[in-house]
Amino acid sequence: MSHTDTATLAAERITLAHQKYIVAENLDLRLPTGRVTAIVGPNGCGKSTLLNGLARIHVPKRGAVLLDGKDIHRLPSREVARKLALLPQDNSAPEGLTVADLVRFGRQPHQGWMKPWSEEDQRTCDRAIQAANMSDLSGRALETLSGGQRQRAWIAMAVAQRTPLLLLDEPTSALDLGHQIEVFELIRELSRQGKTIAMVVHDLASACRYADHMVAMKQGCIIGQGAPHELVTPALVRELYGVSCDLIHDPATGSPVLVNVRRQH
Amino acid sequence: MTPHIITPDKRNMAVHLALAGLLLLVCIAALSIGTVRISPQDTLRALTGSADPMSNFVVRELRLARVVAGLLSGAALALAGCLMQTLARNRLATPGIIGIDNAATAFAVASVVGVGVSVAPPLMALAGAATATAIAFGLAGVQGTRGYRFIVSGIGIGAIAGAVTQVMLSRVAIDAANAAYPWTVGSLNARAEQSVLLLGAGLAIAYLILLNIRRPLNTLQLPDATAISLGTRIKTTRFLGLALSVLLTGLAVAVCGPVGLIALLAPELARSLCRPGRIPLTASALLGAIFMLTADLLGRTLFAPLEVPVGIITAILGSPYLLWILLRPSPRSLT
Amino acid sequence: MLVTLASLLYGAGPVSAGDAIRALSGGGSSEARFVITELRVPRTLIALTAGLALGLAGALLQALTRNPLAEPGLLGVSAGSGFAVALAILLGATTATLTTLVAQAGALAGCALVIAATRVQGMGNDPIRLVLAGATMSALLLALTSMLMLLDQRAADEIRFWITGSVAGKSLAMLEATLPSIAVALLLSAFVARPLAAMALGEKAAVGLGHHPGRIRFLVIISVALLVGAATALAGPLIFVGLVVPFIARAFAGPDIRKTLWLCVPTGPAVVLAADVVSRLIARPSEMPLGVVTALIGAPVLLIIVRAGRLPSL
Repeated sequence: MSHTDTATLAAERITLAHQKYIVAENLDLRLPTGRVTAIVGPNGCGKSTLLNGLARIHVPKRGAVLLDGKDIHRLPSREVARKLALLPQDNSAPEGLTVADLVRFGRQPHQGWMKPWSEEDQRTCDRAIQAANMSDLSGRALETLSGGQRQRAWIAMAVAQRTPLLLLDEPTSALDLGHQIEVFELIRELSRQGKTIAMVVHDLASACRYADHMVAMKQGCIIGQGAPHELVTPALVRELYGVSCDLIHDPATGSPVLVNVRRQH
Repeated sequence: MTPHIITPDKRNMAVHLALAGLLLLVCIAALSIGTVRISPQDTLRALTGSADPMSNFVVRELRLARVVAGLLSGAALALAGCLMQTLARNRLATPGIIGIDNAATAFAVASVVGVGVSVAPPLMALAGAATATAIAFGLAGVQGTRGYRFIVSGIGIGAIAGAVTQVMLSRVAIDAANAAYPWTVGSLNARAEQSVLLLGAGLAIAYLILLNIRRPLNTLQLPDATAISLGTRIKTTRFLGLALSVLLTGLAVAVCGPVGLIALLAPELARSLCRPGRIPLTASALLGAIFMLTADLLGRTLFAPLEVPVGIITAILGSPYLLWILLRPSPRSLT
Repeated sequence: MLVTLASLLYGAGPVSAGDAIRALSGGGSSEARFVITELRVPRTLIALTAGLALGLAGALLQALTRNPLAEPGLLGVSAGSGFAVALAILLGATTATLTTLVAQAGALAGCALVIAATRVQGMGNDPIRLVLAGATMSALLLALTSMLMLLDQRAADEIRFWITGSVAGKSLAMLEATLPSIAVALLLSAFVARPLAAMALGEKAAVGLGHHPGRIRFLVIISVALLVGAATALAGPLIFVGLVVPFIARAFAGPDIRKTLWLCVPTGPAVVLAADVVSRLIARPSEMPLGVVTALIGAPVLLIIVRAGRLPSL
């Protein structure tokens, strides 16, 4: 499933707030096209808020999020939905909903009053389910699946949306190691097919391993961004999490690995 | 290998056809059974005016209007309940339970007994329904409409509205109060032709709009962030859905009074019949009409010649089910 | 005290406050004397008793279920009692004693249901769900009562007057019939107050302090049933009194259950009597059913409690 069309997403000097409380101020960010970007940082640094801001769930107080150069909040919502998909952290679904039912929701932005369910919609859903390796489970109800399978089903829905941009909010939280790898490898695969991906990742090690580009946040500010092996240093880790560590490089992939992590003295 | 996905369409189609057939049977039964029993064949003939004059009169003049009123109000209540459950993400949040029926009744009674206002009952009922909805959702505010807290505030609102109705009834002559009594528990006796016409028009309009916005409505079953990212303008959709729910409740209450639990039970059953993922609007409406007509039929015939108001029948038959939902050791999630 | 005086002084009848005082001291016109001694004194006494009983019953039930929303009216205890009375009236019962006993039996059945419901898994930590189940139960019993009323026109008039809750037109004989059971309930409450306070720490802690939770629960249920049954027989199913009274008492007494219980003793009568005076004055020259006034006062209190960020634990 290749994407001939691409789209760019950027934040320009955005300020995000929950009611009166400002969470992040004056952020500038541009997602590198066709790459996986990971947003990392300590709890409460505003990384999920930033992702929700990019996905237009959160309306910025100041500044603008630009989708292909246009203010995302001025574009028709359905048009945006054809370019940008989000996998939110909360993924509760009505009871009894099957994987196939869920994936069908992904076609919603492409349907209309005069455009009922088409052959193409069906093919796209089938392919999305295949891409997520869920073919054997497509008739199962979501609540009967394991955490990793459920997360893959949700990703399949976002894939069925056929958007050049995909944003994921902590896609592997609450998953065990095996299921984490399952989800991350799916994300890499989608990126190979040409999607631009941004995800909030809790675990710095996974971010280093699976992202092409990293954005480090602390207290609502972006304190650095770049390729993992350039960005991640013991100094950065100390600044983000207040711990000391040493760095080595994974002999298989070359990505940075934190070792000897200890409390700072 | 391409995975084969069974589309929900076929199953839902079958469910809808079966329900429509059942509704037809119930309608014929409601038209033919009563103090005067008429055979189903004669009933059908009487509808076209080609049976004997007696049957013609009973079916067309006496029973048809009641059946139409029951059909429309049952469908409207169930549709309103289905909408409100979806919008509040709370399967107990139906207009009757969160006090909207009671408020609509209070306002309508105000116009009937003439406490300072002279607006037609349906419009007053609408105003009452809108007021109570605004209060219920306003009070929910930050705490949201999920969970039992929202429902119990609704019970409080309902209690106040019920008490206000009692106050008004206690201030008018005892005859007027007695006459209004069956109506305050929900009955098809107090219907006025004008109210039924308004309800019919309102139901038709609401149903058309709902068909149009069914896809965005469906996404509201998913988390807000997902709905937005699927292109749903959730504020607009939610407001429209809520407004339609209020419209349907108000107009229905003006016809039949606060007939409880149809708005809860019909969507509940519809949901289990239809495939998940879609809000069962049509199935709810059909089932609501079936429930209303059946309950009214029971009320008319069980203790004939005495007539039990339909609201009492639905309360007696429906409450045990609601209790069962509430008291099950591990209740399903409220969504 | 003030409310008692007000209740005696103001009312629907054409008797002025001055006349009332004269009548009480034995003077005044014969008409005024009749109104005061035959109508208002019994009415006041009945309101006092019903308020005492319901307030205390609410506090006991709330302490036992550790749920500030547990109210006999909301949970269906009053409705159970009301249904039993309606049934009795329909079957031809008229004597005051029989009605009281029947009401108490109905209340006991309602109580047992509530306690059974709290034993359902998960219900204990979800006070609001319990209330919802109780409200549904009440609705069901109310519908059944309405059905009974439809079946018998004669009984209907009697029941309808009684079911909205009123303390008017009841005789002192009825009050006398309920007094023994209220006295018993008061003694029981005095006895369980200390163990109940221990139960507030949890059943295990109560056992650790040497109490028997099962026995305490049984005694509390009996007293609640006696109290609610008596109050219902006297004044009809008055909803929300058992919610408002302990709510006020708790505001003054703080978390101490024993203090709350004793504060309910003066608060309950005051609240019901005040509501009764309001019900007489608000719709002059006719009267408004007392149950309506208590609902108008109580429902906002319910909203306040539910709205409070977290439910105050007992």
